[in-house]
Amino acid sequence: MTIVPVTYKGGLYQLDEVIDYIEDLGGFIVQRHNIASEVVLQILMPAEDIEGLRTFSRPLAGEVLETPLVGTEIAVVIPSLEIHHLPHSACDVAEYLRSHGSKSNMLGMARGFGRRIAQMNDEERDLINEHDAAVFILGNFASCIGTKFPKFRSGITVPIILTGGPSREALEAVTDPPVEGYVGNLGRFMHRTQTEEDISRLDAVIEEVERVIDARRKELAEDPLSLSPARLQALLQQKIPEIEDILAPAPVAVQLTGLRPKLPYGGYAQRIRDLEIENGVKVGDVCDVKKSRMRDYILIRIKPLSETNIVV
Amino acid sequence: MSGLEFFKVESTENGGDKYEQIATAVLQDHNLLSIVEGLYLYIDPSKPLFAAAGVIRPPRSAITVSDVGNVLIEEETKATIAVGSETYLAPMLKMLWDRLGHDNVDQPDRFTALINGVTIPKDLKDWVVIDPSESLFKDLIYAVQVIAPEGFKVRRESYGKNRFSYAASENSLPENEAKEILTRAFAEIEEGLV
Repeated sequence: MTIVPVTYKGGLYQLDEVIDYIEDLGGFIVQRHNIASEVVLQILMPAEDIEGLRTFSRPLAGEVLETPLVGTEIAVVIPSLEIHHLPHSACDVAEYLRSHGSKSNMLGMARGFGRRIAQMNDEERDLINEHDAAVFILGNFASCIGTKFPKFRSGITVPIILTGGPSREALEAVTDPPVEGYVGNLGRFMHRTQTEEDISRLDAVIEEVERVIDARRKELAEDPLSLSPARLQALLQQKIPEIEDILAPAPVAVQLTGLRPKLPYGGYAQRIRDLEIENGVKVGDVCDVKKSRMRDYILIRIKPLSETNIVV
Repeated sequence: MSGLEFFKVESTENGGDKYEQIATAVLQDHNLLSIVEGLYLYIDPSKPLFAAAGVIRPPRSAITVSDVGNVLIEEETKATIAVGSETYLAPMLKMLWDRLGHDNVDQPDRFTALINGVTIPKDLKDWVVIDPSESLFKDLIYAVQVIAPEGFKVRRESYGKNRFSYAASENSLPENEAKEILTRAFAEIEEGLV
């Protein structure tokens, strides 16, 4: 059974039945957004049942879209949080990733500006490594990217998508060793992305991120996880009712290989480790429950089958 | 209002053309597009050096008390200002309080300012409320900082009469080179504006 990410958009009418239908087929609702009278559900569900969901929701005018970025947390990395990058282009890229199902976090470095003086510290690097992929948004000159980027990529273990003003070929030429993805003709700009040309550049970013995430999913499928992140999310929501009180828009961020519940580490880590999944297998047996570098949150990394010899 | 009449970006590396779009967007966002008449940007990422030279149109004249409202001098120590435009009302009251004393200037209703208990100066209606040219160059330099690549923290800026210049680098500023570029830039702008 292959679990695939999809997005459901529909009205409130008979929404409970749609949710029951998804859950009865073994699907998981990763995130729910209520936008006026419309509801957007980000779902992970068995591939063979998607057509069934389409047929089921057709009379309700519901729309089912394949969105490969659902269930991923992506870092949008910019050299600094100065006006040079915000709100355009960094926010535009982050927002576009979000609209395609991903949970995106923007990360500006404390001393990332300049080419000779650019630096990245341990905390920033660790924070990027807690994501599924990192999209680096750099400037317009190839020589600057060539000088600056090696300082940023050092120690990054997650797939990197490098974006910049020069063409894709020029970006490839200045990166050695190559990174997982490239998007050219983006670079620094100061206007809102609203023309067709601007949107097509954002589409190129999505396409490249999807390709990289797809490759990562295939890589993970070779040594599958001991537990599905979406199932673990459902378990946490069921067993820890305090999650309902978290005010963050995504109280439990789902990643490809784990979760980031926005609960304080000190009070909840051991409680999560001790949760029983089934037949006496506890969360602590198949997952590493660590302290996240993001605030005081918890980061759960699910171990692969090769490490635990169990799939629950 | 017309926009830039002369605009040139000189770059030693591909990618400089993007700065045309960046500069236009930034000047527009800061409401400066109608003020700046000519702009010349020079970018050399390998040095690195960023230089900007600009010529502005004559700024708007200063706003006086009579621009804010009609001044009616009733007695030697009493005057009424019937406010016509509220845009500069707050700075006008602040200026009057500073110069005539808080106790002597009152605003009984939204459109009236009363001066009482102090000798009314003859030239009250010509008192300057706000001079837009005072903050203009600061706004221009701030806009150029936004246009310039962000890491260029070592900078030198100057403004006076109707022109401004800005040079910035990540390393020590190559002063002679920057001066040479700016002189050339101003010459080109003036030639282009004739």
